[in-house]
Amino acid sequence: MISAVYALIAIGFTMIFGVGGVLNLAHGALIMIGAYSFLVVTSGSTLGILSLPTGIGLIVAIAVAAAASYVLYIGLVEHIEENPVITFLATLVVALILSELFVMGFSSSPRTLINLVPGSIHVEQFGVRVTNIEVVGFVVSWIAIGLLWYYVTRTDEGRSILATSMSERGAQLTGVDLPKIKARTWLIAGAFAGLAGVFIGTLQSTSPIMWLDPLALAFIIVVIGGIGSIKGSIVAAYLIGYLETLTVELLGAGFRGTFSLLVLVIVLLVMPQGLFGREWVHE
Amino acid sequence: MSLFRLDGLTKRFGGLVAVDDLSFEVDRGEIVGLIGPNGSGKSTVFNCTMGRYKVSDGSIHFDGSEITDYRTHEVVENGLSRVSQESNPITEMPVAANIKLFTLPNSVLAFRGGATDEEIYQYAARIDLEDKLEEMPDELPHADIRRLEIAKALATEPEMLLLDEPFAGMNQQEINDLVDKFEELREEGITMIVVDHNMGGLMKLADRIVVIHNGSKIAEGSPEEIAENEAVKRAYLGSTEAM
Amino acid sequence: MSSDTGRLGGPLNSIADGYNDRFGQVFGELNGLQFALIIGSLLVLLLVPVWAPLLGMSGLLRTLALASIWAILAMGWDIQSGYTGYISFGHAVLSGGAAYTTALLIGNVNPDLSLAVTLPLSVLAALTIGLVIAVPSLRLKGPYFSLVTFVAGLIFYQLTYAFSDYTGGELGVRVGRIDFTVGGFEITTFDPVMRYYVMLVPMLLIAVTLLYVARSNVGMIFVAIRENETAVSAAGIDTTKFKIWSFVLSSIPMGIGGWLLAHFYGTVNPLNFLLVDRSIELIAMAVVGGMSSILGPIGGAFLVIVLREEVLRIFGATGRWVMLWTLILLVLVFARDGLFRKLWHYLGRLGSRDGGEN
Repeated sequence: MISAVYALIAIGFTMIFGVGGVLNLAHGALIMIGAYSFLVVTSGSTLGILSLPTGIGLIVAIAVAAAASYVLYIGLVEHIEENPVITFLATLVVALILSELFVMGFSSSPRTLINLVPGSIHVEQFGVRVTNIEVVGFVVSWIAIGLLWYYVTRTDEGRSILATSMSERGAQLTGVDLPKIKARTWLIAGAFAGLAGVFIGTLQSTSPIMWLDPLALAFIIVVIGGIGSIKGSIVAAYLIGYLETLTVELLGAGFRGTFSLLVLVIVLLVMPQGLFGREWVHE
Repeated sequence: MSLFRLDGLTKRFGGLVAVDDLSFEVDRGEIVGLIGPNGSGKSTVFNCTMGRYKVSDGSIHFDGSEITDYRTHEVVENGLSRVSQESNPITEMPVAANIKLFTLPNSVLAFRGGATDEEIYQYAARIDLEDKLEEMPDELPHADIRRLEIAKALATEPEMLLLDEPFAGMNQQEINDLVDKFEELREEGITMIVVDHNMGGLMKLADRIVVIHNGSKIAEGSPEEIAENEAVKRAYLGSTEAM
Repeated sequence: MSSDTGRLGGPLNSIADGYNDRFGQVFGELNGLQFALIIGSLLVLLLVPVWAPLLGMSGLLRTLALASIWAILAMGWDIQSGYTGYISFGHAVLSGGAAYTTALLIGNVNPDLSLAVTLPLSVLAALTIGLVIAVPSLRLKGPYFSLVTFVAGLIFYQLTYAFSDYTGGELGVRVGRIDFTVGGFEITTFDPVMRYYVMLVPMLLIAVTLLYVARSNVGMIFVAIRENETAVSAAGIDTTKFKIWSFVLSSIPMGIGGWLLAHFYGTVNPLNFLLVDRSIELIAMAVVGGMSSILGPIGGAFLVIVLREEVLRIFGATGRWVMLWTLILLVLVFARDGLFRKLWHYLGRLGSRDGGEN
């Protein structure tokens, strides 16, 4: 169930890479921004004033994360993106700054988000209990992915994003406004991260270090699925999701991320371009 | 026995066959021209030889040993060096250091060593670059950058040179000078394969010419024979390119 | 201005020339002002225990001891990442691995193990981890390599929690101080002055060694790999071998630095050793100072640590990090060649103008 949320995270990360060649290490921080935005406007106690309905909280989370992502691109990344390593480092530093700011604002202890849809369903025939929020996370994530799919394949604006991710030079030749495309991609990726943030924040934890695990996850998924490939990201997200569940059940929660790395290393050794990837090295 | 031999060399990229069952030999001291229309697979032959591409089928022999699966640096250590089509000097280092790099021993413990200034001067002098040793590569005119590429290849002390379009972008005077230089190098005992897409510069220089088209050999012979060859003419007409 | 430096530059240049004649070939040539900067910094560092108390800044001894260790780590990163251009984002794993090796030996095997055992084993651990990371990941280029090393860093971080029976999880393992005798004279890091020199001297030795390597053929090949790897293999040089060698050369100072850091803090925990922030701090120091120069990262390390431990404390426990990272971000955007490299080139120009006048 959580795999759909993972896919959401990985898709945003991989789209930014596909379109601009940028590895956005602040992607996890956008997820954190989403979770904390939700916390601020819904909890009623955090800032003392706001206790909006959770549905509106979800929309606020998406909007704030999307805006933050857009500002990050326009304000910083656009000026340094020609140097991938500096960009890598700078986005990571941004994540660290945000993490410290959240420590300042909300202390370093984890917070609990108000559940969007409390309760759970008991699935009789499998003997498992699924919480409502997991189901909603699954459905909403897939709706978001579906909308994105429609956008990039059926609308002109969206198609130009897809075209750019296939060949930047080719897209430029056909008169695509590259800076605009990139900024729009960051906006979408930010929105996805904000959405994912609410679910991750509810299901796992909302804390100033919550940016790290989803980011690591996004890497692993994207490397396995092939950098820049949306389809690959979805398949890999499910693969990693199940693997995580399995690892946690068999070895304990401490090994959650570790096993995924093993898969990562194997994939790198056996097929460096991932499951669905283009060649990593541009000739 | 020949110095260099291709035996049924084949290179596929997915479904595309770039080089198809190509065989030819080069004798010691020879200059062989390898020509063909654009996209005929000439550069792929060099890339396979230098270990940059993995060979799909067939074998490559050089100086008595099979080098088919050698990695680039092993091929170079065996006495084969390539002057590639694109110039890629290290722009942070002056010409002399760029040449010196090609003389450094392949040993992680060799902190000192490599060519002396005098030896670097000699390598540069063989190709008329000795006055430019202190200059940075991006200050050099095109013809000198190409000369630097040749000086670097010479600095590996090769027995055989693979020259990839050495005359590209040069005027007639520069081409004539370069042809003379290649003649001198041959007299010093260096064997050469020269790739070009037309025969202009090769007519005078090459002893023998191999023509490939769509990855296969369509003709082989002296420059005069090739100039008269009907199959070659058709291949070039088909690709709308004049000889 | 120019007459001032001219008067100063003259004698300085002649001293520097004495150095250049003897060592210029080996460590690179300097002009008078650059030479003065090096010698000046060296004197300031060697004499800290003398001047710091006079200025009422005794706390500086601790800060600068810490800065020396970080300088070792930043240089260790630089010889690999800065020089070859394969930018590692998981280097804290090497020093952390060394520190944890010491910690596990002392904590779980024998608390009285001497440094003759813990130091070599810790360096060996850094080396092993370095190779485990390098061999599979060096097949990748550019940001992909960085990404994989970053993930490796995360995994090691998680492992310390997964094996918290041995590593003490969040709390870490106590390792105690360094204690040894040289010719009947006892050296102990309980004494702040001795501790300072125990950190400073290895830093200087490593700096000289790495400068030698960086200015040698090996350093030249590393730079060439960064600039154009294809050309290097066309030169008959096995680039894979040299990339792995860069990791080996890097692992040794990383191991020594990790071991020193373990004893500096007295406790090895994920926060001070393995947290992602530490890898990034390492890179930030090198970049702020000026990558691929060995000397730049030393300057960067001292600058960052002094800011972190002294200057920025006024912003509070969390605020200082916000300020530090923000400053680093500004350097990344506006002076990505590094502050000390800029200073160095400025002195280079100033000095050579003097040379012209003389």
